[in-house]
Amino acid sequence: MIELFRRNRIVLISATLLLVALLMLSVGARSERDDPFAGIVLEVVRPLQVAVVAAVDAVRNIWTSYFALVGVREENERLRRRVLDLEQQLGQRAENERADRRLQELLDYRTGLPGESVPGQIIGRDPLPWSGTVTINKGSSDGIGRNAAVVSQYGVVGQTIATSAHSSRVLLVTDPNSGVDAIVQRSRARGVIKGALDGRCLMKYLQRGDDIVVGDRIVTSGLDGIFPKGITIGEVTGVDLDKRGLLKTADIAPSAPLDRIEEVLVVVQHAEEEAK
Amino acid sequence: MRAIALFTLTALLAVVVQTTVLPMTHLGRPDLLLIICVYLGLHQHSMFGVFGAFLLGYLQDAFSGGVIGLNAFGMCLVFAVVYLTSRRLWVDNAVSKVVVVFLASVVKTVAILALVAVFISEDLWRTIVRYLVLDAAVAAIISPAVFAVLSRTQLLAQVEEE
Repeated sequence: MIELFRRNRIVLISATLLLVALLMLSVGARSERDDPFAGIVLEVVRPLQVAVVAAVDAVRNIWTSYFALVGVREENERLRRRVLDLEQQLGQRAENERADRRLQELLDYRTGLPGESVPGQIIGRDPLPWSGTVTINKGSSDGIGRNAAVVSQYGVVGQTIATSAHSSRVLLVTDPNSGVDAIVQRSRARGVIKGALDGRCLMKYLQRGDDIVVGDRIVTSGLDGIFPKGITIGEVTGVDLDKRGLLKTADIAPSAPLDRIEEVLVVVQHAEEEAK
Repeated sequence: MRAIALFTLTALLAVVVQTTVLPMTHLGRPDLLLIICVYLGLHQHSMFGVFGAFLLGYLQDAFSGGVIGLNAFGMCLVFAVVYLTSRRLWVDNAVSKVVVVFLASVVKTVAILALVAVFISEDLWRTIVRYLVLDAAVAAIISPAVFAVLSRTQLLAQVEEE
């Protein structure tokens, strides 16, 4: 009997515990009393639960914060790219509007210009500081030759000094090697415009008695055979007698913004030539 | 004695995990204590195993909010079934253990349903059955990991005792 119990003790004890559990269940189902041992167990485990929940919450907060930050960072990056893109589009649009306006002005000016002219765009500027030339994207294939007048809606720009099939070098009116026959619009006093390289021009060979004052507008005379007559060159900013006191020299501020001009017109045949 | 202390600590940790971490996940409510009970039924054929299973159920009762004795009965039954099974069948590979855990979950749930019907007569079976398969499956899936932890714990207890 004892041997039988010993061999099956696990099963027997299990059966006993099953009965105990049933008894507990039966008592527990009928009474409303709390089990004191369950209360103790809860009290023992509670600090562990609190600690684990706090730890899990902390980890979860870090985790969610991290992902939220990653999300915010990605969104920030995406929005930054979008802003850059829109700014670029906005800049491009404003640029296009300005170009449209400039070209429209140039077109209007072209219609009033005597003879034929070819619009060109400045594609390069002089790499050296001591000369003033620009390169345009039109050349001999467009009918442009050497010594063609280059103008803009603002006034005289310069003249071509070399051409290739699809580009031309333009000597600006501010270059010392440049020479444009000019007159004072008000008094018709005549002189030659030479460049001064510092962004200014000088009107030379004015007679001592010529009537020229600050503020006078200087225009082309049309006598040099290059520039059509009456194109604005600039405005007088100062007048001086030369060393000998025989001739006057006037400082001229070019009317064309030569350092930032982008589009020009090359006069390939003007009225005087047509008349010839 | 160390084995009992380590087992108690493991059981408490399992309760804590089951009552704090698992509800935050979307893994259902796999019964970690049941996995420990199955482990006892497979590897602890001693008084320690039997009383351990009962205490696991009692521990679960203390936290379940139901009537005391419900889970204690279920765990004792699971232990007895697994114990008797392991005496007749060789249950030592991972797959067979997973199957045993799944079936033990089913056995325990059915037993609890029966007890509820007899002693409490609340209409809980719909709620219990709804989660039966999912929770049993999840418990079965995670059981190898829990078994590994328990084996380590047992090994640690043996080493310390030596």
